[in-house]
Amino acid sequence: MSSADQPYIDPSEIALEESAAQRFKSPNDAFWTGIRDAAGAPAMVLFAGMVGFGAMGKTNGFDVWFTTFTSFFMFALPGQVVLLEMAITGSSVVAIALAVTLTSTRFITMTVTLFPQFHQKDRNRSLYASVHLLAMTAWAISMREFHAIETKHRLAYFVGLGLLCWLISIPGTVLGFYLAGMVPPAVTLGLVFINPLFFLLTFTEVKPWINRIALMLGCIFGPIFFIVDRDTSLLTSGLVAGTIAYFIDRKILRKKPGVIG
Amino acid sequence: MSTMNTMANALSGWGLWIALIGASLGTYFCRAIGVLLSNSINQDSEIFRWLAAVTYAMVAALTIRLIIMPLGLMATVPIWIRILICVLAIGVMVSKPIKRLVPALLTGTLLMVGYGVIR
Repeated sequence: MSSADQPYIDPSEIALEESAAQRFKSPNDAFWTGIRDAAGAPAMVLFAGMVGFGAMGKTNGFDVWFTTFTSFFMFALPGQVVLLEMAITGSSVVAIALAVTLTSTRFITMTVTLFPQFHQKDRNRSLYASVHLLAMTAWAISMREFHAIETKHRLAYFVGLGLLCWLISIPGTVLGFYLAGMVPPAVTLGLVFINPLFFLLTFTEVKPWINRIALMLGCIFGPIFFIVDRDTSLLTSGLVAGTIAYFIDRKILRKKPGVIG
Repeated sequence: MSTMNTMANALSGWGLWIALIGASLGTYFCRAIGVLLSNSINQDSEIFRWLAAVTYAMVAALTIRLIIMPLGLMATVPIWIRILICVLAIGVMVSKPIKRLVPALLTGTLLMVGYGVIR
C-alpha cells in the first residue's frame, strides 16, 4: 500500500525470542487467525484502495487485464499509481521502471524489520516467495501482533494475513474497473479520489521528523518539478526533497535532544 | 470525455506491458533485497534513513500531483473543491487521539460523490 508507510517502530521493542504464551495450538491455527485478523478494517481499506485503482485504470483508458495484472504482480499501490500516471504521460519504459522501483524501496526497510522475527527454521529460501505478500497493511499488523505470538507460529500468521490482503486486491481491482464504467460519473469521481486521499491520510500517521519534513518538501517540490519536466518529476522531486530532509535531520535535528522521532 | 485525448501520447501496446514487467521486477527486487539483507543490515544506518526520506518525498510528490494536477475525470472538479475535501477528511482523521482512517476515507469519498451529484 499501500503505501504510504507506517512510522518506524523502535527495534528495541521487537521481541526476538519466545516471549509469548501458547497463543496458537498449531501453524494451521495461526494461519487462520491471520486471515481473520486481516478480514476487518485492514482488508476494507486495502479493498477500497484497489477499487479506486481499478476505477483509475478504467477512466484513463487502460484495459481490464493490464489493470488487474498490475495489482496481482506488483501489489504495491503507490507503485501501481506511479506506473499508470507515467504511462499516461508517455514516459519511457526505463524511467517508469526506475521510478516504480524507487517507490518500492520502503519494502527493503519493512522486510528488514519484520523478517528477523521469524523462527530460525523458517528463515530459508521460501521467504523469497512469502515476501511478495508483504505490503504496508500486513506489515503494520504483524509488527503490532508478533510480540504476542510464539516465534514458531509467526510465519504462518503472517502468510494468512498477507495472503488475504493479496487475494482481495484482485476482485477489488476488477470491481473498481467495471463499476467505473457502469455507475454514474459522481460515483466514479469518488472512486478515483480514494487513492490520493488514502495516501494523504496515512501521512498524518508518520512519526519521525525526518520523514515528515520529506513529506512536506515533496509536496512543494512535486508540482515545481512537474512543471519543469513531468517525465522525471517524481524521481527528481523525491531525490531533492528527500536529500534535503536527510541533511536537515543530520545537521540540525539530531543535535537537538528530544526532537528525533 | 477528455480521457481519449490524454491517451494519445501515452505508452501503448507492447511498451505498456514491458513497463509493467519492469515495474513488477523492480518491486519484487526491493522485497527480495529486503530478505537478503534482513540477516545482516542495521536499519538505523545512514543509507536507510536517506532512502526512507527519498521514498516519503516521492510518495508525497505523487499524492499532491494527483490532487492538485490530476488527469482525466478528476480534472473536471475545481481545485478548491478538491483541496477543501482533503482538508475536511484530514480534520476527521486527526479529530481523535486514536486515528480514524476508515471514517476519514469515507468522509472524503462521500463528499466527492456529493459534489458530483449536485454539480
